[in-house]
Amino acid sequence: MIETIHSINVLLPILYFLTFSIYLYDFVKDESKVFNVKRVFLFITLSLHILYLLFRTIEFNHPPITNKFEIFTVLAFSLGFAYFLLELLTDIRGTGAFIVLFSLVFQVISSLYIQDLIEVKEVLRNRLLGVHVMSALLGYSGFTIAAVHGVLFFMLYKDIKINRYGLIFKRLPSLEILEKLNFYSVLIGFILLTISILIGFIWLPVAFPDISYVDPKLISVSIVWLVFGIGILTKLIAKWYGKKVIIFSLLGFTVAILSLLASNIFADSFHSFY
Amino acid sequence: MNLIGISINHRTSSIELREAVHLSTDEQKDFIKLLRNDVLKEGFVISTCNRTEIFGIPKTNSVGNKALFEKLINFKNVDGLSLDNIEKFESEEALKHVLKVSSGIDSLIIGDSQILSQCKESFRISVDQEFSNTISRKVFDIAARVGKRAIKETLISQGAVTVSYAAIQVIEKIFANLNTKEALIIGAGETSELAAVHLNSRSIGKITITNRTEEKAGQLAKKVSGSTIKFEDFRNHLHKFDIIISATSSTDFIVNYDDIKAAIHKRKGTPIFIMDIAIPRDIDPKVKKLDNVFYNDIDSLNIIVDQNLHKRKQEIPKVEEIIKEEIDGFYSWYNTLGIVPTIKSLRSFFEEIEHDELSKIRHKVTDEDYIKLEDMTKRLIGRILHNPTIKLRELAESGDNLDKASEHTSAIKFLFNLDNIPKNGKKE
Repeated sequence: MIETIHSINVLLPILYFLTFSIYLYDFVKDESKVFNVKRVFLFITLSLHILYLLFRTIEFNHPPITNKFEIFTVLAFSLGFAYFLLELLTDIRGTGAFIVLFSLVFQVISSLYIQDLIEVKEVLRNRLLGVHVMSALLGYSGFTIAAVHGVLFFMLYKDIKINRYGLIFKRLPSLEILEKLNFYSVLIGFILLTISILIGFIWLPVAFPDISYVDPKLISVSIVWLVFGIGILTKLIAKWYGKKVIIFSLLGFTVAILSLLASNIFADSFHSFY
Repeated sequence: MNLIGISINHRTSSIELREAVHLSTDEQKDFIKLLRNDVLKEGFVISTCNRTEIFGIPKTNSVGNKALFEKLINFKNVDGLSLDNIEKFESEEALKHVLKVSSGIDSLIIGDSQILSQCKESFRISVDQEFSNTISRKVFDIAARVGKRAIKETLISQGAVTVSYAAIQVIEKIFANLNTKEALIIGAGETSELAAVHLNSRSIGKITITNRTEEKAGQLAKKVSGSTIKFEDFRNHLHKFDIIISATSSTDFIVNYDDIKAAIHKRKGTPIFIMDIAIPRDIDPKVKKLDNVFYNDIDSLNIIVDQNLHKRKQEIPKVEEIIKEEIDGFYSWYNTLGIVPTIKSLRSFFEEIEHDELSKIRHKVTDEDYIKLEDMTKRLIGRILHNPTIKLRELAESGDNLDKASEHTSAIKFLFNLDNIPKNGKKE
C-alpha cells in the first residue's frame, strides 16, 4: 500500500494542475466542449484524493492531521470538495479556477514535504480529534471559498463601476450570485466551525486535564467565530446586502488567517502538536 | 448560371435614397408582376429599411442588371438614384451576395438577427406570386440554410449591438433574477418605449412609467403590462426601484445626486442600476460616485456595443466558409440539371418496355405469378439503370467533366432514341 500512497502523492499535484488548467481555460475561452469536462476532472481528482487520505489513515494508523503537511493535503481536499458541492448545488461554474488554485498550492507543498509518520503522539490517534480537526478545516475551507468569492465580487463591482467590460465582466456570474455564494460559504463554514468548537469543548477536558480556557488558539478561534457570527446576523436580521456583507466575510477571513498564524507560530499552547 | 441582381444598400446609398426605393409588401407584389412581364422568368425581391435587392433569372440574354434598375426607378419614381448607387451581380457572385445578405454579414449591423426572417418573408411572397421556379427555390433553400448555419455554427449574432441590449447585459451582471426586480422608466418617448419593451421581454418583475404627460405614460404602461406613477412624485419613490432608465427631452437634470443618495440609503446597500439614455442627460452623472449605484450613459454602453461588433466582425471568415460550402453544393446540384431529363427519359423508356411485355403475358399466368414477374422486372430495370444513373450524376456533380457528361448524355439519347420515344417503347 505504501507504494500506492507514494504514487498518488505524486499524481495528486498533477491532477490538481490539470483540473486548474481546464477551469482556467474555460474561464478565459468559455468553450462549451470543456464545460462538463472540468467537473469530471475535479470529481476524479477528489475521488483519488479521498482514497489517498483513507490509505494514509489505514497504513499509518492515524488520521492525516498529525503535521502541517498532512493538514495541507486535507485542506487541499476540503477546499476542492467544498467547491465541488457548491458547484453541484448552484450550477455556477465561473469561479472554480480561483478556488482550485488554492487546492493546487496546498497539495504541491504537501506532496513535496509530507513524510510517512508511523510514530505520533497517542492523542493524535483519537477519532474524535479527527472529526474535530476535519470539521475545523472544512469550516476554514468555507471561509476561504467565501473570501475568494468576496474578492471576485469586488473585482466585478469595480469593473462595472468604471465601465470596464473585459474578461472579469464577461465570465463571472452576477454580483448578486457572487454575494450569495459568499454568504452560503460563510454560513457552511460557520456551522462546521461551530461543530468543531463544540467537539473541542466536549473532548478537550477529557484529553487534556490541564486545559486552559485562555489558551491563545481557543481565544483566536472564538474571535473568528464571533466575527463571522456577527456578519451572518447582520445579513439575516439587519438585511444587509452586497459590499457590507462581503467586507465582513473578508474581515473574518483575515482575522482567521492572522489568528491561526499567531496562535500556531508565536504562542505556546497545549493545542500545539507540531 | 444566369442569375442576375442589383442591390441598393448602406454602402451604396444614403438613408434617404434607401427609404425612397423601399418596397412595402403590397408594392413588392405589384413590382413582381412588372418584372415577370418582360424582365425576369423567376426571382425575388428583398426590401428592408436598409436595403432593396432584386434578383432573378432573365427572360432573354439581352436582359441585364440595367433593366432591373430601370424597372425599379420607373416603379418607385425616385429622383437622384443613379447606376452609381447600385451594386450589380451576375452568376456565382449574385448567389454569393444573396447568401451574404441572408447570413447577416452584409448588414449595416453585422449579424443582424432580423435579416433572415425578412429574407424568408420575401421568398414566401415570391412563391405566393408564382414568381419562383427550380433555381430560385433552390436559392431560397440555400439562403435560409446559410442564415441558420451562421447563427448556429458561429458567433455572428452573439452579444448586444444596441444600447438597450447592452444595458440589459450590464443589468444581468448586477442582478441574478430579473423577475424579482422593479424598473422605473422616466419618459414615454420612442427610446423609453424601446427600453421598456426590452425589459419586458426579459421578464422583469414590474415596470413603472412616469412622464410629464400622464396619458402617454399610461399608454406605454399598457403596452408593457406596467403601472404609472405621477411625474411630480416619482423622486420620493426612487428607492423602490432596482433599475432606473431615463430618456426625456428635459434640458436640465431631473434626478440629482441627493435624490439617488437618499434612495440608496433607504435601500441598505441594495444596488441600483441607472441608465441615462437622454441627450442632454437627465441624471446627474456624479451619482456614479455613490456606492452600489451603477450609472451608465450612452457613451459607456457604446463600449459594449463596439466590443461586440468587433467580435462579430471576427466571425465573418467562418460565415464565408459556410457560404463557400453551400455554393459548392449548389453547383453540384445545378450541374446535374442537364442530365436529369435524360435519366428520366431513359427510365420511362425502360418502364414502357416493361409494361408492354408484362401486358402480353397478363392472361397467360396466374395472378400470383404475375405479381412475382412484375417485381422481378422492376428489380431488373433498377439494377440495369443503377450504374448509368450514378456515373452520369457523378460526372455532372463534380463539375470538372461537364463536357464528358454531355457527351455521354448525347450517346444515351442517340442509342436509345430518347428524343423520339414511342409510347409503347417499341422501336419505330
